[in-house]
Amino acid sequence: MDEGDLRIRNHVYRRFVELGRAPTFAELKDELGDDVESALRRLHDAHALVLEPNRTEIRMANPFSAVPTPYRVEADGRSWYGNCAWDAFGIPAALHVDGHASSACPDCGEPIEIDIRDGRPVPDEHVFHVAVPAAHWWDDIVFT
Amino acid sequence: MNLFRSEEHAGRWLEHYGYKAGATITAGQLCDLAHAWWSDRLEPDWRPHTRDKNQAILERLGLTGEFWQLP
Repeated sequence: MDEGDLRIRNHVYRRFVELGRAPTFAELKDELGDDVESALRRLHDAHALVLEPNRTEIRMANPFSAVPTPYRVEADGRSWYGNCAWDAFGIPAALHVDGHASSACPDCGEPIEIDIRDGRPVPDEHVFHVAVPAAHWWDDIVFT
Repeated sequence: MNLFRSEEHAGRWLEHYGYKAGATITAGQLCDLAHAWWSDRLEPDWRPHTRDKNQAILERLGLTGEFWQLP
C-alpha cells in the first residue's frame, strides 16, 4: 500500500467520522480527483476497506458500516453502525471515547444495551459468538 | 459475529438455524479485542496490521487454537 493510497484511505476514514456516514463515491471523486476509483479498488483488495460488490461505493471502513446493521453505536455525540458486535465495540476504541452500543439478542429479540466506559462493557454479562474460523474471515467479510 | 444475552441463548440460536458452533467469548474479552484491533484505526500514521501483529493480539488475549489461526 503506497503513500497515495494511504492518503486516500485516511481521507475516507476522516470523512466517515465527520459525516456520521460513508462518503459517497461522487463526493470522494470530487474531493480527491479521478484517480480515486483505482485507489479504492486497490484498498478493497488489500482489505483496508470494503466496497459494495461491483461498485465503487463504500460498504465498510471497519469498524464503521456504511449500511444499517443490528449494531448501532453512539459515541462522541454522533452515531454510526458497526459491521458486527466486534466492530461496534471498536468504534469507541477507534475514537478513544466512551460509547453506547444498542442491539438485540438474535435468539430472543430482547434489547441489548451496553455502555463502553473506559474500555469496559457495562454491564459485562453478554457473550459474543464468532461463527467463522479466523482463517476464513475474509472469504466473505459481509457474512463474517 | 453476534452478541447474545448468554451462552444458552447463543446455543439455542445456533441449533435453531443449524449453524455449527464457533467460539464464544465474554463482552469484556470483546472490549479488549476491539481496543487492540481498532484503536489505531483513525491515527494519521496508521499502517495496515501485519498478519503476525494480529495473530499476536489474539494470542495475548488468550484466543489460541486452530479456530483463531489467521491465514
